[in-house]
Amino acid sequence: MSSITAKAGAMPSQPVRRRAKVDRSHWVGLLYIAPAILLVTVFFVIPLGMTAWMSLHNWPLMGQHRFIGLDNYLAITKDTRFWNALKFTLYYTVIVTIAIFAVAFPLALFVEKPRPMASVYRTAFFMPVVVGFASASLLWAWLLNVDSGLFSPAAQQLGLTEKKFNLIATFNPAFWSIIVMVVWKVAGFTMVILMTGLQSIPTELQEAAKIDGANAWQRFRTITLPLMRRTVALALILSVAGSILAFDQFYILLRGGPRNSTITAVYWIFNQSFVSFKLGYGAALSMVLLVILVVLSLIQLRLLRNPEGT
Amino acid sequence: MKRLTSLLAATATLLSMTALASAAETANIWVRADGSNFMPQIVEAFNKSHENQIKLDIIPNAELVQKYATSAAGGTAPDGLSLDLIYTPAFAAAGQLEDITDWAKSLAYFNDLSPAHVKTGTYKDRIYGLPFSADSSVLIWNKKLFKQAGLDPDKGPTNFAEIAADAEKVAGLSGDIKGFYFSGACGGCNIFTFTPLIWASGGDILSEDGSKATLDTPQMRDAIALYRGMVDKGLVPEGAKTDSGANFFAAFAAGNIGIAPSGAFAIGALNTQYKDIDYGVTFLPGKDGGSSSFAGGDNFVVTKGTPKLAVLKEFLDYAYSLEGQTLLASRGSLPVRGDLAKEALKDLDPRYQVAAEAMAKGRTPYSVVFNDIINSANGPWAQMVNEVFFGDDVDGAIANAQETMQGIIDAGTGQ
Repeated sequence: MSSITAKAGAMPSQPVRRRAKVDRSHWVGLLYIAPAILLVTVFFVIPLGMTAWMSLHNWPLMGQHRFIGLDNYLAITKDTRFWNALKFTLYYTVIVTIAIFAVAFPLALFVEKPRPMASVYRTAFFMPVVVGFASASLLWAWLLNVDSGLFSPAAQQLGLTEKKFNLIATFNPAFWSIIVMVVWKVAGFTMVILMTGLQSIPTELQEAAKIDGANAWQRFRTITLPLMRRTVALALILSVAGSILAFDQFYILLRGGPRNSTITAVYWIFNQSFVSFKLGYGAALSMVLLVILVVLSLIQLRLLRNPEGT
Repeated sequence: MKRLTSLLAATATLLSMTALASAAETANIWVRADGSNFMPQIVEAFNKSHENQIKLDIIPNAELVQKYATSAAGGTAPDGLSLDLIYTPAFAAAGQLEDITDWAKSLAYFNDLSPAHVKTGTYKDRIYGLPFSADSSVLIWNKKLFKQAGLDPDKGPTNFAEIAADAEKVAGLSGDIKGFYFSGACGGCNIFTFTPLIWASGGDILSEDGSKATLDTPQMRDAIALYRGMVDKGLVPEGAKTDSGANFFAAFAAGNIGIAPSGAFAIGALNTQYKDIDYGVTFLPGKDGGSSSFAGGDNFVVTKGTPKLAVLKEFLDYAYSLEGQTLLASRGSLPVRGDLAKEALKDLDPRYQVAAEAMAKGRTPYSVVFNDIINSANGPWAQMVNEVFFGDDVDGAIANAQETMQGIIDAGTGQ
């Protein structure tokens, strides 16, 4: 370090030239990201601004809108059905995130090691990810159908249940059916993220630990996990954000049922906007959800940042 | 010179022809998918016999309101719309519809038009919608299964006790045969087929002007007891618990259901698509007899400020003619002109007569928030019917729905 500093000090003209270079590359850099900035502005910043603007209005889907200030936000504080939906969404997020990691981590450990047919396994586990949530929900709507589906007639034929059991008629079977479906659909994606993290860990570290006599669990806990901190953070944030915004599966599979017990926050926003036609109120709810999501993501980033600050 | 004159004359003729052609106007109308069995036919018949033309778009049921609202906001709304009648007050309240009071009152047969349609088509004493298609709720039963169960196949149930007893007998047959069917997770289906049981017993779920929810009545509890009793005895298929309406008609059409509340549309659908099902049609009864029906269907409404009003009037005049009414009836939509009903139906399946009579006596709840309180899959009504039919806490479910419904009514449309 010191030698470099000394060298730089010996050549006083160089920093000026370098700055000019930096300036030029600065503009070239801006040019390169201009398309991205444009896209983000048109498809994110402007709609976000419009949402914020709409949230200050009584904005029916049909008819005239008028400015009402913060009334929508005041109404949200009294909207028990929204807070219930949010409560359910958080419950779902916790359960489904744990379930996804519980399945994806072993899968990642399994497919990361070189073994015969490793790429076949990887492909097989990843396949459900490329199916859209809507198509996957429709497929499971059939699987779960009490009369013409797979699970309930199969259970009856095998003698497991005396008569047909309607899986989506009560909360717990319906909720856990969704969890199974989402894990089947999403675990492959989390698996791939975790796998890249595993592969970036130098093998020498593991070997050194092995020579020092650390067993498999010790190696996992003291080497693998700490070195995967960033990968886990990425997978966690993606999973949490995705789960808080869950909508398709509950809308298509359960219609928010049984008895409105599985209405998520986004579902409630959709209902307010496009069933009750209160676009302004829906916009206000969206802003509240956005703030909640940003806060949750910041907390996660903070908890999972590297202790050394690197 | 002569050539020039003839050329001028020819040009003039050509010009006048073009002018004539452009005088024939085309109006765009929409209908929900439920109307796809009769709407294309009557539009085609109209276009063949008239110079002005109608262009029809069929929109999926669940998307119609959203699609209309967004295209109205974008200035591309159709000129006219065949709209589920219960939505007419909400659309009128939002200021989307043309006031057609003068036109409506000028019709010689105005007083013979279906009262349920005219009532929902009226908002603040002005008329915004005229009856177009009609569907009433009725009770249908499977004659073959009745016979097998030792019941009189030509006699449908006439009160709650008979429904329960007949359903039990039919369910006693072997195999997958069940006694009774209803879509247990569908608000729209149950307002159509379950509330008539309450009305026929003398109760109601809303006050006349729609300002008060009146769910907790003895009549409501009697009707609930009928459904719960049949569910407890296993007379209703397990799938009913979660049927959000997809199986509303299909369950009976499959041929292993004894009795099902349904609609006049089922007559047309069974006659054309399920010819081997032998069925009877009767009124939805009250606890100790009597009868009632939900008078449903579509109102024809006009988008505010459309320049094609004259074409729409011509089209509606045609639909109201005997020819139009007969054509609609033959495709499963009941006549909306009371004075022509008998004649329009005289050559059709006699079971239509029952449905037409039910229509004439039918009722329709009036509310500007109908979608929110009743039809929405997540509304208080949909939640309540599922809880009271299958759940453990009937009292709590009714109380909860009453409170939520009244809250939504009081909040209004927010306009």
